[in-house]
Amino acid sequence: MKQKKNAKALISEYFIFAIFIALVIVLTCLKPSFIQPSNLVNIMKQASINGILAFGMMFVIIAGGFDMSVGSTVAFTGILAAMLGQGQYPLIVPLIVAMLAGLAVGLVNGVGVAIGDLPPFIMTLGTMTAVRGLALLTSKGKPITGISKEYRGIAGGSVFGVPMLAVFLVIVILICSFVLAKTVYGRRVYACGGNLQAARVSGINTTAIRISTFAIAGLLAGLSGFLMTSRVTIGQPTAAESYEMDAITACVVGGVSMAGGVGKPWGVVVGCLLITIIANGLDIMGVSSHWQKIVKGAIIVLAVLMDVKGKGKKN
Amino acid sequence: MEYILEMKDISKTFPGVKALDRVQLQIKPGEVHALMGENGAGKSTLMKILMGIYSKDDGGEILFSGKPYKAASPKEAMDLGVAMIHQELNPILDMSVYENIFVGREIRKNGLVDKKAEIEQSRKLIEESGLHVAPEEKLRSLTVAQCQLIEIIKAISVNAKVIIMDEPTAAISEREVELLFGHIRKLAEKGVAIIYISHRMDEIFSICDRVSVYRDGQYIASGDTKDLDEAQLIKMMVGREITDVFPKLEAEIGEVVLEAKNIARADRKVKGVSFSVRKGEILGIGGLVGAGRSELVEGLFGMHPLSSGEVFIRDKRVAVHSPHDIIKEGVALITEDRKVTGLNLSGTVNDNIAMVAIRKLLSHGLYNKNKARSASLDYIKKLNIKTPSGDQIVGNLSGGNQQKVVIAKWLLNDPDIIILDEPTRGIDVGAKRDIYLLLGKLVQQGKAVVMISSEIPELMGVCDRIMVMCEGNLSGEVKRADFSQERIMALASAIEV
Repeated sequence: MKQKKNAKALISEYFIFAIFIALVIVLTCLKPSFIQPSNLVNIMKQASINGILAFGMMFVIIAGGFDMSVGSTVAFTGILAAMLGQGQYPLIVPLIVAMLAGLAVGLVNGVGVAIGDLPPFIMTLGTMTAVRGLALLTSKGKPITGISKEYRGIAGGSVFGVPMLAVFLVIVILICSFVLAKTVYGRRVYACGGNLQAARVSGINTTAIRISTFAIAGLLAGLSGFLMTSRVTIGQPTAAESYEMDAITACVVGGVSMAGGVGKPWGVVVGCLLITIIANGLDIMGVSSHWQKIVKGAIIVLAVLMDVKGKGKKN
Repeated sequence: MEYILEMKDISKTFPGVKALDRVQLQIKPGEVHALMGENGAGKSTLMKILMGIYSKDDGGEILFSGKPYKAASPKEAMDLGVAMIHQELNPILDMSVYENIFVGREIRKNGLVDKKAEIEQSRKLIEESGLHVAPEEKLRSLTVAQCQLIEIIKAISVNAKVIIMDEPTAAISEREVELLFGHIRKLAEKGVAIIYISHRMDEIFSICDRVSVYRDGQYIASGDTKDLDEAQLIKMMVGREITDVFPKLEAEIGEVVLEAKNIARADRKVKGVSFSVRKGEILGIGGLVGAGRSELVEGLFGMHPLSSGEVFIRDKRVAVHSPHDIIKEGVALITEDRKVTGLNLSGTVNDNIAMVAIRKLLSHGLYNKNKARSASLDYIKKLNIKTPSGDQIVGNLSGGNQQKVVIAKWLLNDPDIIILDEPTRGIDVGAKRDIYLLLGKLVQQGKAVVMISSEIPELMGVCDRIMVMCEGNLSGEVKRADFSQERIMALASAIEV
């Protein structure tokens, strides 16, 4: 009896992983080139920036929040990085500036939500709009070109065949997973999202925790901005439109509860890879980008629906 | 037809648990029938099957007015004539009284809502029930008891033959209970059967005609309440005899450890209350609902801003701006509403136990799952928490066990002063006794305990001293030697005797 229950729980817990594997098999059968190393490298590159954003988003959502502004922040910090990455400074300068700018946006969000008591949706909708304006203002509405060869080399380079972008993602995954699972801070993020009131009564500084999750999302958006400029070789004020939605999608598909308090890092990794291989698979099968959106939308809803239903039965 | 409702041989299996095992229930028209049993006995599951929230296992049958009955949803159950008034009421607070009465079955005219007819009918129903509210009033401006009556009106308006009431008195004051009982009696006279779920013995004997008892998913017995006494009922419920309902352990009372001076809250719900508690002492705080008892301890604990007041712990003044400031000094507060301020319901037992004293569960500065697991296992044993394991989601546990998890999370922090706000509300006799014994053991270890309760017998049973509050003020204090129900009631309602 007990074993049966565990098996059931296991299936529902790893359901999204099973879908992922199934999809890989299906795509490989349909198009053998899908599994080739060159395409896998491509997938890793495609997944990296969304993955980094999704991990920042994961902190915010687990703590019971929501961040609409990360896409704009990527564009804004990308512009800053492009302006400072023309070869005049060592590369660490644009990296640090981009991350600090992202951090600043995150702090504004966090203070608005945790101290100003604004709904996260409203607060970050505001910064999403304003920061996009900031990106246009800084760049005077034009793309920033002429980034140094070195800087371009970051996204183009690889370590032992693994693209640099993926290396960044792996570092982010490792640090974030460690922080969430192992540190006092991480456990408190879950407690805040699970029940904010109870967390406060338990002596947790919920204001600081909530602000910090937005700050982490901002910081990682800054990192993404830096990497994206390197990847596309220019700073585009209109770039990264709706990236926040992709990040939220990766979280939700990966089993992070929008109600807060629930979510595992590995789920977000799978969620992120899942939406990347859907896009990639449809691409190599030559499906038009218009259809791709429809398929992506349907798969998001179906994946979460099956997940929810599976869990519903367990209770 | 003798019975309006018969449930025969009902079973329900959840993955890994048999929640109900061939259980019986027979309800006569016009009777008030109590369902009794400890938490986890299966009462709620049985009612959820009746309401169509769960489906029963194959076998067994439900007869309603002698005909087979099957409801696949609460809506179907209501259409068939069975309505339930939930323990946690969920009225739509921003809608008016009449909208709440007719929500889900709006009166239509030409396909649109006929507001006039709804108001008219609501007015009639409200008048019949003797409630003094206008149909247009928003639910938000009503008291909990009034909202409850609106729910009852709703049940009557669908012509329910059987109304289930789950802990209807949990959140209302004593005076309102009398009003509610009046309504229940009126309903019964009209032939409506009431299924009444409560842990409060005195209520069972004053309002119920018959009682059915369940234990661990099994049906134990039914009988007329007039043929039964409290001891017999408890024995049926827990399966053994409990001689002392309020065990009192002897402890040595020492020096003052917590002193609160002139506590007043910015919202005027507490108007300058001073008290102190000694090592080894259990101090009770009595009073009516709304007297400011919870507000006092929550203010003291830094959950709400104070307009004045000083807190001394072991003669040291402590500035309290947030709960953290006073937790540091070894104080714990087990709040009144475990779901709102106590638990992370989506987290596991382990997660919840780690909420306050996570620093005790670290190795090399990092959260150690194994330490958390063994700490929680320790408390699962010590407090007799019924859960398959520490990895169980707390939201899936029964009320009494959830309450024990809240207590465990605080005890892990090893506090010297423990404040409990209605720690036994909504939990069964066995779990209550566990908690009284635990409090006794805590004071024997030299800790100080402050307990808020609305049940005077409970306060008189376990406390060394009772302070009584009334309308935000301290109205008096009674020592154990002078305890009397009348004296405490008089202080609570501020009547001079």
